[in-house]
Amino acid sequence: MNRKWLTYALGIVAITAFLISLPFVLRSPYWVSILIILGIYTLLVASLRTITLIGVFSLGHVGFMLIGAYSSALLVMRTGLSFWAAFIIAGLVSAAVALLLSYPFLRVKGIYFAILTLLTAETFRLVAWNWKSLTGGNYGLINIPAPNPLTIPGLGIMQFESFNSYYYLTLTVVVLSLFLLYRLEHSKAGFIWRAIREADILTRCVGINIMKFKIINFVVACFFAGVAGALFAHFQRSLSVDYSSTFGTMMSIYLIVYLVVGGPERFAGPILGATVLIIASEFARPLQENQPILLGVITILIVLYMAQGIVGLPNRFQLWYERALKRINRNTTSKTSLGG
Amino acid sequence: MGISAQLVWQAIVNGFALGWIYVLMALGLMLIFSIMNIMQFAHGEVYMVAAYFAYFLSVTLGINLFGAIVICMAVMAGLGVFLERFLFRPVRGRYILAPIAISVGLTLILQSGTMGVFGLFWRSLPTLAAGSLSILGAALPKDRITAVVVSVILVLVLYLFLKRTKYGQAIIASAQDYEGATLQGISRNKMAGMVMAIGCALAAAGGILAGSLFQIIPTMGVLPMIKGLIIIVLGGIGSLLGVVIGGMLLGFVDGLAIVFLGPMWASLIPLIIVIVFILVRPQGLFGHE
Amino acid sequence: MGDALPLLQIRDLNKLFGGLVAVTGLDLDVSEGEILGLIGPNGAGKSTVLNMIGGTILPTRGKIVFNGEDITKLPSYIRAQQGIARVFQQDILFANLTVIENLLVGLHLHLRMGFVGTFLKRYTPVGKEMELASQTLEFTGLAQHFDELAKNLPHGKQRLLGLAIALATQPKLLLLDEPVTGMNAEEMEAILTLVKVVRERRGITSIIVEHNLRAVMSVCDRIAVLNFGGKIAEGSPKEVVGNPAVIEAYLGTEEDAA
Repeated sequence: MNRKWLTYALGIVAITAFLISLPFVLRSPYWVSILIILGIYTLLVASLRTITLIGVFSLGHVGFMLIGAYSSALLVMRTGLSFWAAFIIAGLVSAAVALLLSYPFLRVKGIYFAILTLLTAETFRLVAWNWKSLTGGNYGLINIPAPNPLTIPGLGIMQFESFNSYYYLTLTVVVLSLFLLYRLEHSKAGFIWRAIREADILTRCVGINIMKFKIINFVVACFFAGVAGALFAHFQRSLSVDYSSTFGTMMSIYLIVYLVVGGPERFAGPILGATVLIIASEFARPLQENQPILLGVITILIVLYMAQGIVGLPNRFQLWYERALKRINRNTTSKTSLGG
Repeated sequence: MGISAQLVWQAIVNGFALGWIYVLMALGLMLIFSIMNIMQFAHGEVYMVAAYFAYFLSVTLGINLFGAIVICMAVMAGLGVFLERFLFRPVRGRYILAPIAISVGLTLILQSGTMGVFGLFWRSLPTLAAGSLSILGAALPKDRITAVVVSVILVLVLYLFLKRTKYGQAIIASAQDYEGATLQGISRNKMAGMVMAIGCALAAAGGILAGSLFQIIPTMGVLPMIKGLIIIVLGGIGSLLGVVIGGMLLGFVDGLAIVFLGPMWASLIPLIIVIVFILVRPQGLFGHE
Repeated sequence: MGDALPLLQIRDLNKLFGGLVAVTGLDLDVSEGEILGLIGPNGAGKSTVLNMIGGTILPTRGKIVFNGEDITKLPSYIRAQQGIARVFQQDILFANLTVIENLLVGLHLHLRMGFVGTFLKRYTPVGKEMELASQTLEFTGLAQHFDELAKNLPHGKQRLLGLAIALATQPKLLLLDEPVTGMNAEEMEAILTLVKVVRERRGITSIIVEHNLRAVMSVCDRIAVLNFGGKIAEGSPKEVVGNPAVIEAYLGTEEDAA
């Protein structure tokens, strides 16, 4: 029992040390910026996965990221609010919109929920596109300021203009958020979510108010999407809702790919999926316009041949290993029984 | 606002033609969803690839446009069968996200691949018919009318296929209840192949018509995909008539909305209508649930 | 049994599906501690009545009063909280959860933990929860399967699990929808015995919907017979079996009646 704890603790320390040291190991602002995007998308996909716990698939998660991004940017730019308050409020705005929509939305399931969320995200995008006075319309929002400098006791004042410092900001927020999502998933509430996914009629008939639990799930997930959006806004320093941007229709659906490639069944799935795909697309950059082809091929191959996603690899390896062992044993025993 | 009658007529005809093209998309999507329980998100890319292939056939090779349509539909049908056999069949029965992921991967490949071969600039197909007909004092472009006629013919052919042939009846039965068709001796695999072929052929026709009426760009498939989804929800999954009526309504509303309300509201209104529909009457106008 | 206000009172219950009349003008009383059989040929409307009592379908007209309260329009989860539990015909279970986890969901109602406990603490069922769950499993004869996935259980045990989950909610009224259909004699006996035992030990009232009259005759105190959505007979098993209207209803279809 103690051994297990020790290994866990060591593992966490090792990973933390690794993550903290990455910018210095890489020494390249470009790669650090990739890591920041990776972190943001990990949070986005992880919160998307949380919604799957109640058995529905949102194809419009990007829409809530959009709300968070613009909320944070506009709060800071128009009202002079500090980033540190704005990005939380941005998450809350996303959550509030989700709350407003949740009662009607969550009564619908399956393909209808998917289409509904897809169209809702598209609606958000079009509203942002057309509401020029608020969002700058097709010109987008530019000159979004970086987070205000923070005084950290012991380390002095931290500026956030550089990639490195933004990396640590993203790292902290994302890790904290993932931790909260993880705890939620393994709490009683998470257990009930899974029950709702398995058989919502039965869950109702044992006295559980499933609407309440579904709403909480959806609202929390969209809160974190909003936070991811805020992080994105203050990193990119500009936002655009054009057709092919990060908030476009295809991006909504593309998030599903991150989830499926990583493996939707385990919590680590989104982390692995986002990592693999984003790093792969970086290495595929030399291919330029053919880059999406490679991603498409990778996606299809993984879905076809790795049913559980990347997260399922250790399992499959173990199964393969056991089967190989069995075959070896059979061969040796048959040899001996033949009178060796 | 000084909107001339001519403009209104043109908007109506435009919208009508587009509506029917979207109907072709919607029918394919609906069939595929009913039989395979998959929402084929790459359907828009099939539409787009067909338009480019038709460009290759008619502009590069000089084949007559209508001939190109036929060839293209056949080729895309074959592509559909191929996709069903090797991409969608292996993931059937797995969780719902798997086929979606496959469609998305497919979208990436098709869109990028086409961009790579043909570049980003828009191209155009030869017109379906030159000039315009004078009806009720307004000049209606013949090509729009031709597009509608072609679409209607295709839909009628589909209708006859579904109602009068053994395979069509099996598809209808299977759409309502999985066991129904296997009792007729037609395997699910065969039916999946059939609906993919039909769906892709229809999408191909739609793409070519649109490419001739408007222009061909690599991203031309995304919007029709969304419109197709909208129509399915409006008309109801499972009702051919519903899809047709839904498509005509949508085309009508779209066309007029752009003229009277400007592009902003024109794009928002269909979305809002559908959202309301899903919430209030998910089975659409004619569907059954 | 008899003088006090009935646990369940149904007055003029009607249900129309479009133009189809599923249930018409039903009046029914169920006393506390009673085991009532609701029988009739297929399509008689029995399951619809059960669904309306349980809350998964709302009536077109009529009133249902449970334990003195009008529950006609209440959502099913509130009815469950008030003491109505269900065992479903189609073996609705939490398929990918283990047997014990299935029970734990059923126990949620009586072991609620407040905000922090529900959302922030890691859920590891211990102590009282596990005890209660194990007890119910033993009671229904499922103890040795506690770690198996519900979907891997044989049919009969799945039915028992459904009953166990319902019992975990500590109900006053148990609604069983065709509990013995598709079971062998041994399994049938097991379920029906359990229904009797919980009535004796915990005073749980039961309504059993069945189309197989013979199966439930031994268990029910009273039987109400439905046909074409309306009640055609009511009384003790003996009375009902000899009732000519009942015999005709069953001979009209090919059901096995008596």
